[in-house]
Amino acid sequence: MKIECKTSKAISGMGHSMKRKEDIRFIQGKGKYVDDIKLDGMLYMDIVRSPYAYAKIKNINIDKAMKTPGVVAVITGKDLEKYNLHWMPTLMSDTQMVLPIDTVMYQAQEVAAVIATSRYAAADGVEAVEVDYEVMKPVMDPYKSTEPGAPLLRPDKKGKTDNKIWHWEVGDKKKTDKLFETAEVTIKEQIYVPRIHVCSIETCGCVADYDKVNNHLTMYMTTQAPHAIRTVIALVAGHVGLTEEKIRVISPDIGGGFGGKVPVYPGYVIAIAVSFLVGKPVKWIEDRTENLQADSFARDYHITAEMAGTKAGKIQGIRFKVLADHGYTDASANPSKFPAGLFSICTGSYDYDTAFVEADAVYTNKPPGGVAYRCSFRVTEAVQAIERITDRFAQTIGMDPAAFRFNNFIKKEQFPWKSPTGWSYDSGDYQLALKKAMDVIDYAGLRKEQIEKRKKGEIMGIGICSFTEVVGAGPSKDFDILGIKMFDSAEIRVHPTGKAIARFGTKSQGQGHETTYAQIIAEELGIPAENIQIEEGDTDTAPYGLGTYASRSTPTAGAAAVMAARKLRDKARKIAAYLLEVSEEDLEWEPGVFSVKGAPEKKKTIQEIVFAAYTNHPQGMEAGFEATHYYDPPNLTFPFGSYICVVDIDNETFEIKVRRFVAIDDCGNIINPMIVQGQVHGGLTQGIAPAMYEEMIYDEEGNILNGTLMDYLVPTAVESPNWETGHTITPSPHHPIGAKGVGESATVGAPPAIANAICDALLPYGITNIDIPITPFKIWKAMKERGKI
Amino acid sequence: MKTTIEKEFQIQEPIAKVWAYVSDPIKIVECVPGAAITEKIDVSNYKGTVTSSFGPVKATYNGTINISELDATQYRMTLNGKGLDSKGKGSADMIMNSQLKEVEGGTSVMFNMEISISGMLAQFGSRLIKDVSDQLLNKFIENFKHKLAGEEVDNTMSATSMMGTVLKSTLGGIFGGEKKD
Repeated sequence: MKIECKTSKAISGMGHSMKRKEDIRFIQGKGKYVDDIKLDGMLYMDIVRSPYAYAKIKNINIDKAMKTPGVVAVITGKDLEKYNLHWMPTLMSDTQMVLPIDTVMYQAQEVAAVIATSRYAAADGVEAVEVDYEVMKPVMDPYKSTEPGAPLLRPDKKGKTDNKIWHWEVGDKKKTDKLFETAEVTIKEQIYVPRIHVCSIETCGCVADYDKVNNHLTMYMTTQAPHAIRTVIALVAGHVGLTEEKIRVISPDIGGGFGGKVPVYPGYVIAIAVSFLVGKPVKWIEDRTENLQADSFARDYHITAEMAGTKAGKIQGIRFKVLADHGYTDASANPSKFPAGLFSICTGSYDYDTAFVEADAVYTNKPPGGVAYRCSFRVTEAVQAIERITDRFAQTIGMDPAAFRFNNFIKKEQFPWKSPTGWSYDSGDYQLALKKAMDVIDYAGLRKEQIEKRKKGEIMGIGICSFTEVVGAGPSKDFDILGIKMFDSAEIRVHPTGKAIARFGTKSQGQGHETTYAQIIAEELGIPAENIQIEEGDTDTAPYGLGTYASRSTPTAGAAAVMAARKLRDKARKIAAYLLEVSEEDLEWEPGVFSVKGAPEKKKTIQEIVFAAYTNHPQGMEAGFEATHYYDPPNLTFPFGSYICVVDIDNETFEIKVRRFVAIDDCGNIINPMIVQGQVHGGLTQGIAPAMYEEMIYDEEGNILNGTLMDYLVPTAVESPNWETGHTITPSPHHPIGAKGVGESATVGAPPAIANAICDALLPYGITNIDIPITPFKIWKAMKERGKI
Repeated sequence: MKTTIEKEFQIQEPIAKVWAYVSDPIKIVECVPGAAITEKIDVSNYKGTVTSSFGPVKATYNGTINISELDATQYRMTLNGKGLDSKGKGSADMIMNSQLKEVEGGTSVMFNMEISISGMLAQFGSRLIKDVSDQLLNKFIENFKHKLAGEEVDNTMSATSMMGTVLKSTLGGIFGGEKKD
């Protein structure tokens, strides 16, 4: 599908594959990350972590550590308790220890912090801290967590008598149960979406710089949501005098966030507390292992998925039950009203009116979470469940999975479509996307090839995923975090010479905001994108917003930029009318120029108009050329796509090779095709990760068995197949530029496509489901169990 | 994490002599790489330390040894060891069953060890822990043979040599070079 551009390449508005402006500094190694910040007199912090998943702390001996050269202080929970800073709230209104007083709840939990004059001295100090533990038997299995006799993990929570955190449900239970009693075909599958980690290249860290004289804190930190963090700090530390106007949060360049840089980690709070007490800047940077072992995990959903329908191939309803393992505290970063995130998108891309979905969250002795890893709050889990069970249903009734999907898709003319769990899908053309993917990959040819290969005993599979996403949280009537509504903001200032700076409440972690936001403004105002500077991440200068995650930047802040730019265009029209001595109605707009209708030679460029706003503005009009907009989206956006994956499996070693992967995405109107493609490539690689490689594995004693990147397999270019990408364009009807967001589509859509392909390959061997990550060993085991080898 | 190792070897010494060494914790611990008895509580309970080093992780475990079975007629012994890392980095538990048998020309010694490790060492070495334990046991057997022969025993642990031996045997296995025994 060809992308139409309304602006010239010189302006580079929407649709141009403009090279990323930020890459000029990144490719020269000139990005400025938090660890690049060095302040005078700065101290360094390192953290003592628990070797046990569940233990009482009998004693912490800091004597030797304090004698270590360079060590300034050792902070324990008891030190923080004096200031009531030993516990903090999570974004889900649960509570989390900053440092423990008497009990550790997971392996790698923070136990004490060592402050020293160098990073090395701090690490030596950590080695010298002696902790005496009384080890207890941890609860590692979420199913056992709620069994009678399980130890009560959170006795600190008043009135709590079990390890359940919350129960959530949506849909019509009665109607759904009745359908499942009467339906011609019902199927049930147990699907586990494993605990994984975001593994961004840059770990988390901060420099807390408290200025005693002015009672002011500057917090440089790796956060995807600087404004929200400022408010959280004020809420946690307001009682010791750090009120919100005294706090400045700066999020410098970020090397990947993926949801892992939304939560507030204990390290940040300890660094602030120490800086506050000693009046010196304190730097804390996690090492790679700490990042992997202790930071918020993602996923970990045990899903019992059921589907009901007809023998003829019509889906009639679904019933999903989820057990969510949250570790020892619910440290997700979901909107308040959605404890299970937007999991209720799990009815998928199909037309039926009956669904019941419920989820129970429990505590275990694992690290807290779970964050929305490149995912709009549990959408990945939802799509894995619906797309796997859709394939299983098609297999059960003996129908081709593509034909089955065409039979059940919500049709183009049915939008806006009301889902049985309450969503209003904005727009879609699911048939077109799947048809395009099938044409590109030659689906019919592949099925023929598969028949031939099966005759020869070769193992080949084809997997489809036709996903519907729900992103851009969100409309203020339903979406808030800690009560703050999930709008986002943009402020545009155009200077007298016609160049601009724009600031946003979001924060890029590599998404390319400095380019795409500039292109949006260029589209609306006709000022060349290269003349528009984009700034994010400094709470002293940027307008308030809830940050970047859940593919929300384009749907919210991108829309805010459009609305602010349109305010300026209205002002420009007034100034142009004044300068050209005509009425506003007589003017015509083309990008960058207002001209008089019928007399195109009489015109004013946007640069001339802006100059006039500072030098010759009409009397009675406010001078200057600035606008701000806080955009509260009327609905979420619903990007979608169809992915097809072909795998070949070695029939002796069971090594899985992804031969082809075609991804057709529809994210509405496209701002920068090259950036969209880059986002899809990265997302697909982060999709193959849980499908074939990544899972955090714990033993019964609570030891993480793959707590380093030597054992936790993050795919690299070596494992990545050649991604074949393409798109269809179905604009969002409610977004001001018809865009939907694309950051996470591929992460969501890829795992089920790969799992479906592998399970399709293994169908002749009676293997219908293997949980991701699907490894050669799991296939070998399944083959062995069925006596196939 | 748990690992189980079994070893059987033969010694050209009479069973009574071998048993005298096997059943005496003071003597046998001297053969365990990195281990030392620090205190005898009673005839079946002892206090001791084990220093184990693997790559960047060095742990000293302070613990107790308890002899839960000592059957001189069957030449069978069960020894339980429990250790806590002195800096709180982890713990290790071990159950060791040993069984002697008279064979032609000497004695057959059968060891069966179940080792559970928690904490840093378990995290770091989960893939290689079996190989490390295997090497430790080999070193132990070597020391034990020296001890029986009345020779001096060096039971200090060298991290680099241990790492080197493990890598050699692991990589050797992969590349079809030196075979593991």
